[in-house]
Amino acid sequence: MLKTIFRKQHQVEVLIMKYLEAFKMTQENFSLALETCLTDDKACGDFTFLSGETHRFESHADDVREEIKTLMYDKILLPESRGDIMRLVDSMDHIPGYMEIVLNMIKTQMLVIPEFLIGDIRELMKASLEACELMSFQVQDLFRRRGRIKELVSVIDLKESQCDKIERRLISAIFESELDGFQKLQLKELVIYLGEISDHVDKLSKQIYIMSLKRRV
Amino acid sequence: MLSLLGGVFLGWALGSNDASNVIGPAVSTKMLRFRTAAAIGALFVLAGALLQGRSGVHTLSGLTGMDLQEAVISSVAAAAAVTIMTIFRLPVSSSQAVVGAILGIGIFNRQVNFSGLGKVVACWVGTPIGGALAAILVYRIVALVYNNLNLPMVQSDALLRLGILAAGAYGAFALGANNVANVTAVFVGADYLDMTLALLIGGLSIGLGIVTFGRPVMNTVGSRLVRLDPFSAFVVLLAEAITVHFYTFLGVPVSTSQAIVGAVLGIGLLKGTRTVSRKTLAGILFGWFLTPVVAACVALAAVAMVL
Repeated sequence: MLKTIFRKQHQVEVLIMKYLEAFKMTQENFSLALETCLTDDKACGDFTFLSGETHRFESHADDVREEIKTLMYDKILLPESRGDIMRLVDSMDHIPGYMEIVLNMIKTQMLVIPEFLIGDIRELMKASLEACELMSFQVQDLFRRRGRIKELVSVIDLKESQCDKIERRLISAIFESELDGFQKLQLKELVIYLGEISDHVDKLSKQIYIMSLKRRV
Repeated sequence: MLSLLGGVFLGWALGSNDASNVIGPAVSTKMLRFRTAAAIGALFVLAGALLQGRSGVHTLSGLTGMDLQEAVISSVAAAAAVTIMTIFRLPVSSSQAVVGAILGIGIFNRQVNFSGLGKVVACWVGTPIGGALAAILVYRIVALVYNNLNLPMVQSDALLRLGILAAGAYGAFALGANNVANVTAVFVGADYLDMTLALLIGGLSIGLGIVTFGRPVMNTVGSRLVRLDPFSAFVVLLAEAITVHFYTFLGVPVSTSQAIVGAVLGIGLLKGTRTVSRKTLAGILFGWFLTPVVAACVALAAVAMVL
């Protein structure tokens, strides 16, 4: 019944789910594009197409974010909720941004990932994307039911710690290798941006938890 | 007809000062625009006055034996006192102003009934305490239900908006039902107006005050005294409306300002007294003390000049 009375408010929920869908597609294409680089040492093949797709879904997510913001400026929610939602979508938008940066680095700097790093990079990507997926569940819970938000905070925190460990291991491996100095710096930067994904997801997860706590009295 | 303007002025002053008590939280939490909130408030005030304002008018019209001229002077004096307080952005009691004005006239006539004053003062103390207790009780009960509902963000938001709107409308209804007596009871007592016309004029003039000059006091209650979150704003409005409506059934006109300040303080006590602005509270209490004094002085001066 509330949905009928507050049709416009329900629209916010619909747009958030649409944003999550675009966010998921960005992740999937990012994962496939990066995987192409890890399996094809020439870093070509489908990479250009998949990184283009990643950009396309990232742009689509941007459009949805703007739609959400426009709706917020219509003052259809309480001011506190408006602020919370705007901060949430702005903050979430950094993640597809990091994914694009990683793919662009590979593309523009013609980075080739050495064999000895592939396992850990793949593991870092997998753990980061799992953290992203868990964070998406949190957002869904915030807008549909508030059951698992608290539990997911600790799971995401564990994922972030796991990613930190892999990141440190990768950087050590890069600098212990025989690669030339310039290549080491390039790869270090790539790993740091990959690591940023889980760091940011962890921050977001805590932000979502606070948002849910604020709605308890 | 000119005599009635005193009553309309009091109604307008009451509406402008008490607007903050019924629509203040909805506006200061930026949930509704002032105009929309004021229109809803005015409509429900009129409904409250017409549907449930009789008992208060009966009580007050039987209390005073003033003639028409004295009735007009007391109304204008009370209205002037309330308007001064509104300009200083202080939520005050129009009942206190009316009693102060009646006392002023009584002092001039050397006919002050101090025995009856005790009951009135008891109500002045009882209303904010009642508001605070109602707020604490309502908060505990509604919080329990609200938390158990475990609503997602948008639904929770929608429910709160609906709650604030409904509680504000209920508060406006209670304001009209309870306070219309302050505005036109003296005219009924002086056989100048019949009951239905008194309720209609009283309700309309209070509504006019809300719409035209309701903004100044609004922020004092809504954000300066305690910064209210939406849930607390809803509880405060509901507690105020319940308190005032309770007194309506008893046929005693009380102050919505005192009820709401009591309710806001009740929430402040629940959440820790640090959230309450002592400076604003002191200003409000000073306003409560000053209102009957100013009204009495204005009435005394007016009656000395006219009679």
